[in-house]
Amino acid sequence: MNAQELFGILPLLLVSAGIVILLLQVSFWRGHVGALATTIITLVLAGISCFWVAGTLSTGASSIQVTGLLLVDHTSLFFALLLLLTAIAVCIMGYSYLRMRCNPKVNSGSYPEEFYILLLLAMLGATTLVFASHFATFFLGLELISLALYPMLGFAVNGDLSPQKEQLQSLESAIKYLLLSALSTALGLFGIALIYSASGSLSFSGIASHMTELSQTSTLFATGVTLLLISVAFKLSLVPFHIWTPDVYQGAPTPTTALIATVGKGAVIGFLLRFFSTLDLYESQVLIDMLSIAAVASMLVGNLLALMQTNIKRLLAYSSIGHIGYLIVAFIIGKSTFGTEAVIYYLVAYIITTLGAFAVVGLIADSVEEKVLNGEYPENPTLNSENPYQCDFYRGLLWRSPWLAGCMAAMLLSLAGIPLTIGFIGKFYIFTAGIEGQLWILLASVVIGSALGLFYYLRLLLIMVQRDNIVTEEPSGSVQIATSGNLLLIILTGALLVFGIFPQLLINWINAL
Amino acid sequence: MTLLAIIIILFAGGIIAWLSERYLQKGGRWISLVSLLLAALLLVNYWSYLGTPQSVSGGPWWDSLQAAWIPRFGISFHLAVDGLSFLMLTLTIAMGIFGLVMTWNDINFRRGFFYFNFLWTLAGVVGVFTAIDLFLFFFFWEVMLIPMLFLIAVWGYEKRIYAAIKFFIFTQASSLLMLIAIVGLAYIHYRNSGQLTFNYNELLGAELTANAAYWLMLGFFIAFIVKLPALPFHTWLPDAHTQAPTAGSILLAAILLKTGAYGLLRFNLPLFPESSMAFAPVAMTIGAISVIYGAMLAFAQRDMKRLVAYSSVSHMGFVLLGLYALDTIAVQGAVMQMIAHGLSTAALFALVGALQHRLHTRDMQQLGGVWAILPKLSAVALFFAIASLGLPGLGNFVAEFTVLVGSFRSNHWITALAAIGLIGAALYALLMMQRVFFGKLRNQFESPSESGDTADLSLRESCALLSLALLLVVIGLRPQPIFNISEPTVTQAIAEIKAVAPDQNLLSSQSQRQEILISTGDKSP
Repeated sequence: MNAQELFGILPLLLVSAGIVILLLQVSFWRGHVGALATTIITLVLAGISCFWVAGTLSTGASSIQVTGLLLVDHTSLFFALLLLLTAIAVCIMGYSYLRMRCNPKVNSGSYPEEFYILLLLAMLGATTLVFASHFATFFLGLELISLALYPMLGFAVNGDLSPQKEQLQSLESAIKYLLLSALSTALGLFGIALIYSASGSLSFSGIASHMTELSQTSTLFATGVTLLLISVAFKLSLVPFHIWTPDVYQGAPTPTTALIATVGKGAVIGFLLRFFSTLDLYESQVLIDMLSIAAVASMLVGNLLALMQTNIKRLLAYSSIGHIGYLIVAFIIGKSTFGTEAVIYYLVAYIITTLGAFAVVGLIADSVEEKVLNGEYPENPTLNSENPYQCDFYRGLLWRSPWLAGCMAAMLLSLAGIPLTIGFIGKFYIFTAGIEGQLWILLASVVIGSALGLFYYLRLLLIMVQRDNIVTEEPSGSVQIATSGNLLLIILTGALLVFGIFPQLLINWINAL
Repeated sequence: MTLLAIIIILFAGGIIAWLSERYLQKGGRWISLVSLLLAALLLVNYWSYLGTPQSVSGGPWWDSLQAAWIPRFGISFHLAVDGLSFLMLTLTIAMGIFGLVMTWNDINFRRGFFYFNFLWTLAGVVGVFTAIDLFLFFFFWEVMLIPMLFLIAVWGYEKRIYAAIKFFIFTQASSLLMLIAIVGLAYIHYRNSGQLTFNYNELLGAELTANAAYWLMLGFFIAFIVKLPALPFHTWLPDAHTQAPTAGSILLAAILLKTGAYGLLRFNLPLFPESSMAFAPVAMTIGAISVIYGAMLAFAQRDMKRLVAYSSVSHMGFVLLGLYALDTIAVQGAVMQMIAHGLSTAALFALVGALQHRLHTRDMQQLGGVWAILPKLSAVALFFAIASLGLPGLGNFVAEFTVLVGSFRSNHWITALAAIGLIGAALYALLMMQRVFFGKLRNQFESPSESGDTADLSLRESCALLSLALLLVVIGLRPQPIFNISEPTVTQAIAEIKAVAPDQNLLSSQSQRQEILISTGDKSP
């Protein structure tokens, strides 16, 4: 391993160093704000190093192969940067979540700092996954994400200040994810073993060199790839491997939900893009058919089930199933450069929007929780309109807190794919990709899915503008959130609008890869 | 630049109106009025083009503005205006002002947000009527929907949420089909010519196989007739109209429905001439059935707003019939119908709104003998009801007559069928007059205890309504100037179609002659 190789994986090294520093820092000096600061500095430095590495890549070789395990190229650096930025947003949400619920001053058994260590671990896994060019690093990255996520999903138990019900649901979601994730990992491992026995290699390029003799004949290889895809589909919560999604999303602390919905999926998409293009699996009709069926099912099932939800986190969970379905449409034609561009654009749109939606939900819930702990609000709300996770809570929000509701409305419109938002450009990409690949059935499902999606996004949007309770308007009805949260929302909403109105900016960046 | 300025003024006016709510209680409506008047002033800029013959100005467009927007897809921010766009823009701004003036005092809460939505809807519509880049067109097509959705959902009547969602899903789902068609068209053009563009002028020359053109045409067609609305897709309209606040109904009826007709004329016919011709009999049948079906359902309504809404279905059926007659005279009639229907229906909705504001009901079974307490309002209502049924001397008559004359040459039977609709129009319009304004006064309205409530039309309302009435009379007596303005666009669209149909030369030359007759008609004063 020479200096250039070490330099290539600088983002990974920085995140690892951040983890070690944070561990040491926490063992000597516990402090919530200190841990947050170290985490954000680590993430920012890692993000900057992505630019740095990309700068040397454009002057020299187009990619750096690091020890046969990792391959650093422009696309993977873009993914890494995207995921690191996402993690910063999750940090800010996490701070807002933990500040009240996990306060060592109130309950000495609270350890909020661990959240950030786990977050950095998950990020190390995610960045490893997008740089992976070998099944060993693939597995390492995937498992590192999952292992860090289990405690994060159950984090509500920490400190014992969260409501009893929230703690139970949080534990439930952690256990569910643990069991199902273990199952999918086992399937994936078996798939890797089959691929190895068929091709005799574990590195992607090694397998690719055997592809010519493998592709048509070997059932062993096809079975292996199918099993691997099932494991990946589980992480992406593609139908029919989506069963865990709503429960886990609902029960988990909202920042963790945002993390699992964005980083968890984005990293896997990054891996899939590289895996498929290196092995040229787009040629395999069976795989494409399977992906198509999963995509159609995801779009229809996700959107149909979302219609019936009243819990806003469950609603977003089902809607994210549908959105990954849309993304797969672009993925299927990914062999052209345009397909890759469409996938990346849609992923960026999806991440910004999902992050924004969960940020609004989480920040609102945090402000309610603050009132509960101060004794201004019932701890176990009986009415749906008092539970911050129920749609009914959002009734007339536009009149109570116009700014928050405006952000939420922008996110919902973006999810629904309405112009002026980034979601519209994303959907435009999907349509263009579908037409280029002449995937008419998939396109029809996109249209049906979008029409269904409109219904529940609009219902929520209209609940927010309902005028019924203007008579009983009280100052206490408004929702106050912290400055850091406001800043996060401004940035996310700004990005959503800027990339929606001037998409060329983002397109240029993607094409500069 | 004028076009961009109009759109920016409306967008900015909306934002200022919203922000100013906190400081100026009722300032929003003044800000809206000022922005609309400014937009109208800018529109007057184009006055100089009205007299000039088309050949002098060079090309069909009076004015255009082009700037790169998303070069990756060959999408540009491209606005342009020609005679048809100008007519539609004038209608849009005029109806905006009319709606604003008629509902000057109606909005009691969230005024700032109301005027924000009102102006943004108008801005979106202005964009739709001037966008020449297909992607930009779609962009504005969607932008006008969201504020309209809020207008219905927040300030509407009892079942507003249901109506708003229905309205939105119908129009949005159908417009996704249009988006696919737009992208498909651009993609086929790209494959044939190697140039990726969404520019209308260049896509006009796209070479399509008959099969592809037919499917793409259907994508556009469905989106446009949902908006129009024509028969199988009309069900959102009665709900949306009935539940929308008065100003929203005026915008919907006078302007938003016209975007569908405009789209058919601007995009569907010239982009897909062959398949439009193949499809014309079907479209004409849909139009004729809409005429009759709309009239029949209007006749069966108790709710005055629903009655007017169904009468819109009937009237817009004439537009569809006229457009797909593929005949210069019929298309000219359709354009005239768009304008005349805009004026008369907007006035009718305003009147029903005014009536409900005073008597708190629009159920015709509870109303009766209103003439006795509101004579001015009733007289004006009589005028517009009669205009709507197509009395000679008023705009609607000219429009419907021209459509029928033009269509008759294309298809005798369908036109004859549609003509029956005129009888239906007389029935429902007169029935509404008889039930609501004549007869015996109902007890509950006899003693105007709250004297302020049952006041007759104020000076403001009278002026607004009478100016529309005057316009209808002027158009009815002297329609030629409007025909002249829209003529270049219409003849060009028809010429595109005739060009692909050599076997119909006879018909073409015949219509050319008629055209000359119509266009020379005004040269002699």
